[in-house]
Amino acid sequence: MEENKYILEVKNLKKHFSTSKGMLHAADDISFNIEKGKILGVVGESGCGKSTTGRAILRLHEPTSGDVLFEGESILKCNKTQMRNKRKDMQMIFQDPFSSLNPRKTVSEIIGEPLRLHGIIKNKKEREEKVAELMRLVGLADRLINAYPHELDGGRRQRIGIARALALEPKFIVCDEPVSALDVSIQAQILNLLKKLQAERNLTYMFITHDLSVVNYFSDDIAVMYLGKLVEKTSSEELFANPTHPYTQALLSAITIPSLEKKKERIILKGEISSPINPKPGCRFAPRCNYATDICFKESPELREFKKDHFLACHNFGK
Amino acid sequence: MKKRSQISEIWRRLKRNKMAMFGLIILLIIVVLAIFAGKIFDYEEVVVKQNIAERLDGPSMQHWLGCDEFGRDILARLVYGSRVSLIVGVVSIAMAMGIGGTIGAVAGYYGGKIDNVIMRIMDVFLAMPSILLAICIVAALGTSLLNLIFAIGVSFIPQFARVVRAQVLSVKDEEFVEAARAIGSKDSTIILREIIPNCMAQIIVQATLSVASAILSTAGLSFIGLGIAPPAPEWGSMLAGGRIYIRDAVHLTLFPGLAIVITILALNLLGDGLRDALDPRLKQ
Amino acid sequence: MTSKNSVEVKDLVVHFETVDGVVKAVNNISFNIEKGKTLGLVGETGAGKTTAALSILRLIPNPPGKIKQGQIILEGKKLFEYDSEGEAIEVISENEMEKIRGNEVSMIFQDPMTSLNPVMTVESQISEVIEIHQDVDKKQALKKAGEMLELVGIPAARGIEYPHQFSGGMKQRVIIAIALACNPNLLIADEPTTALDVTIQAQVLEMMRDLRNKLGTSMLMITHDLGVVSEICDEVAIMYAGEIVEYGTLEDIFNHTSHPYTEGLFNSLPNIENRYEMLKPIKGLMPDPTNLPEGCPFHPRCEYATDLCKTRKPKLTKLDGIHYVTCLAYEKGTEIKMEGGRIENGRK
Repeated sequence: MEENKYILEVKNLKKHFSTSKGMLHAADDISFNIEKGKILGVVGESGCGKSTTGRAILRLHEPTSGDVLFEGESILKCNKTQMRNKRKDMQMIFQDPFSSLNPRKTVSEIIGEPLRLHGIIKNKKEREEKVAELMRLVGLADRLINAYPHELDGGRRQRIGIARALALEPKFIVCDEPVSALDVSIQAQILNLLKKLQAERNLTYMFITHDLSVVNYFSDDIAVMYLGKLVEKTSSEELFANPTHPYTQALLSAITIPSLEKKKERIILKGEISSPINPKPGCRFAPRCNYATDICFKESPELREFKKDHFLACHNFGK
Repeated sequence: MKKRSQISEIWRRLKRNKMAMFGLIILLIIVVLAIFAGKIFDYEEVVVKQNIAERLDGPSMQHWLGCDEFGRDILARLVYGSRVSLIVGVVSIAMAMGIGGTIGAVAGYYGGKIDNVIMRIMDVFLAMPSILLAICIVAALGTSLLNLIFAIGVSFIPQFARVVRAQVLSVKDEEFVEAARAIGSKDSTIILREIIPNCMAQIIVQATLSVASAILSTAGLSFIGLGIAPPAPEWGSMLAGGRIYIRDAVHLTLFPGLAIVITILALNLLGDGLRDALDPRLKQ
Repeated sequence: MTSKNSVEVKDLVVHFETVDGVVKAVNNISFNIEKGKTLGLVGETGAGKTTAALSILRLIPNPPGKIKQGQIILEGKKLFEYDSEGEAIEVISENEMEKIRGNEVSMIFQDPMTSLNPVMTVESQISEVIEIHQDVDKKQALKKAGEMLELVGIPAARGIEYPHQFSGGMKQRVIIAIALACNPNLLIADEPTTALDVTIQAQVLEMMRDLRNKLGTSMLMITHDLGVVSEICDEVAIMYAGEIVEYGTLEDIFNHTSHPYTEGLFNSLPNIENRYEMLKPIKGLMPDPTNLPEGCPFHPRCEYATDLCKTRKPKLTKLDGIHYVTCLAYEKGTEIKMEGGRIENGRK
């Protein structure tokens, strides 16, 4: 039996929220695949829908339409019990190390909860041993086993979150801005830890971030999102060498580089990001695009593979 | 990093609050006296037996707080009466907390129609003056300790439903609740293990202050004759009995009144102190 | 007597006396900012940068904060001086400080979402600061407010709108307009672009650069982002555990990195040019400010540390021009080697 090389296939995923002002299109028509053992970085600025997409894939938000296939099986068709089972394979690491841990639980209780819930290790003593093993794996000292989150700093708390995500031995982890809330020196520690774990356990990551230099370092492939749409997707090398979508070009030119080398001319985007509520027809980026033409305001561009493994949603570029 | 369990941290903060500690000590004295009432005063002899010769006597060496209209020792009756107040106060609130808390948690967690229906029903109850509700229930079911507890308990259910619902609403959108869902927790698990423990602070404060209210209600009901039947002592009925003598033998009403005031004050001081001690924002 | 410096900070020590112990937030720092120049104050959380900046404005909450030592001179005028015992030698009155805040020195804070009053129009928030410090009537103040809005790239007609009607980037521009309304000599910016999106950050930095050049304002830019530093600062002070561990021009800090902590900061950042280069994080954690290590505060995390570093406190050593470093390796006779990294490369 041929094993599906894609561990995750997202097809035309949509997530809309109904608000008093109208329908908020948080994610529209998102399609991409992730190969087993690879890291897909998803980047974009606030309001682009990257966090919503990550949560919709795990059904923490119920998708409005579209499909998500995990190892070839649709998870949207699963009922509650089947979904609970699937969750053992698909986990999440959250952004805020302060609010993603229950303040009333100890480190041991937080990491051990997934094991207790799924009845994987019923014996309390055995569970504690497994928790200790996980703590060592993520670099947490043994003596912290009964500590409370508020006694620890952001870096250690994030390690707890990682240990919790690994407890069920998942195959796929959505990392939602896992290092954005941490100091620079701790960021590097956590990124190295995540990379090490990925290599050791052949994990697949969906790495959501707004930090372009981090995503370049960390991911194999990158997907760029703008206002709920996927505008460009390709390998990290290709994206930085040949950014094709006008938004990607502006985004990359905006990065602040810690060096005194002569910097490239910065592309300053005109205007502000438009509202995701009841979006007008046409390309969502058109109002700010320096290259927009008539068709851009009428028709929404489809995501096409214009070069091998390089996807683009634009009327004017990538021919 | 100094490791402190949460409870010892809260206790440490509470200790620093002099007024709260004062309240706590008063309450402990009242509770201890209530527990050992039997050892100090013989019920039949001192509390119930009438002694007309000494009726309306003022405070003396024999009777520290004087005697009531039947010559019974007021101090002894106060101490025995505290049992009723404490039992009714604590048990009725415990019941209200359990029932009201569950209702509020379900309403807050699920939201939408369920929330609407539940809270509108609670609103109906809240629209009635709680003492009136208690009166109706006791009048219908009869005066007994159990009915008293039930009546007062019911009148506090909507309050707890509200408080718990508000707490649940503020906690349920926290990321750790989402994390619990991500690892596959069921709704009931999430409410019991993740959300409620984080609401306990407010609930405990509300409970402490409500016990004070419940004691006041108990006294009130007894005052109008819907409480414990005589000759059993209760602060409210002692007030009622001493009312007509207020001009000449003020000690019949003064001391039960003081007992009520002191107990409620102590509970309020403790409750306020707990609120400050449990508020994590005060942590520097 | 006019000094060439906009602000001079000398031997500043600030402690916070809390229930959990004495937090040594700022431990003897000194720096100057020349008129028209921008100093970057770089460090991670808890380094003491914001405390140092608030000291200039004398906005340290007291209690629990106390200035234990030091003096600050603003445009030649002494704001305060405390000797090493903590005794006040000269402290100008609060009244006089109020005339200075918003007028000669302004500060903009990190989070634009909470820095604006939600129930006042943006133009009235700008005109408010003008009316406090300048002798003009309301009409003139509002006119000036409109001019400030145009200066930061917002049409003056939008002045009657409320903060919630603006996006994050625009709110930050409004805050900058308020800060610059009275044309201060010194602008203190505390992580002004950290909360903003990348493309908006680029816009705001560009605007700040332009304004700074146009108005000749001196700036103290607090940030943890070395990329931002390279874009807008002239000189840099790297802070760790309340001390300045390295100080110099951009060229000094970037191309002749000398302190192991500075080297560690650079090594923690991914290299956009070379995505395969491994990150080399600094091991360990920031020290507890109520319990700082003996000797050099960085020694527990320093890969070059020797036994000497555990007991002896390093002094400020001059390297070259205005390039200073606080590290025993640069003091005579310590024989500490630092090889194989950015520091060594910078010496070549």
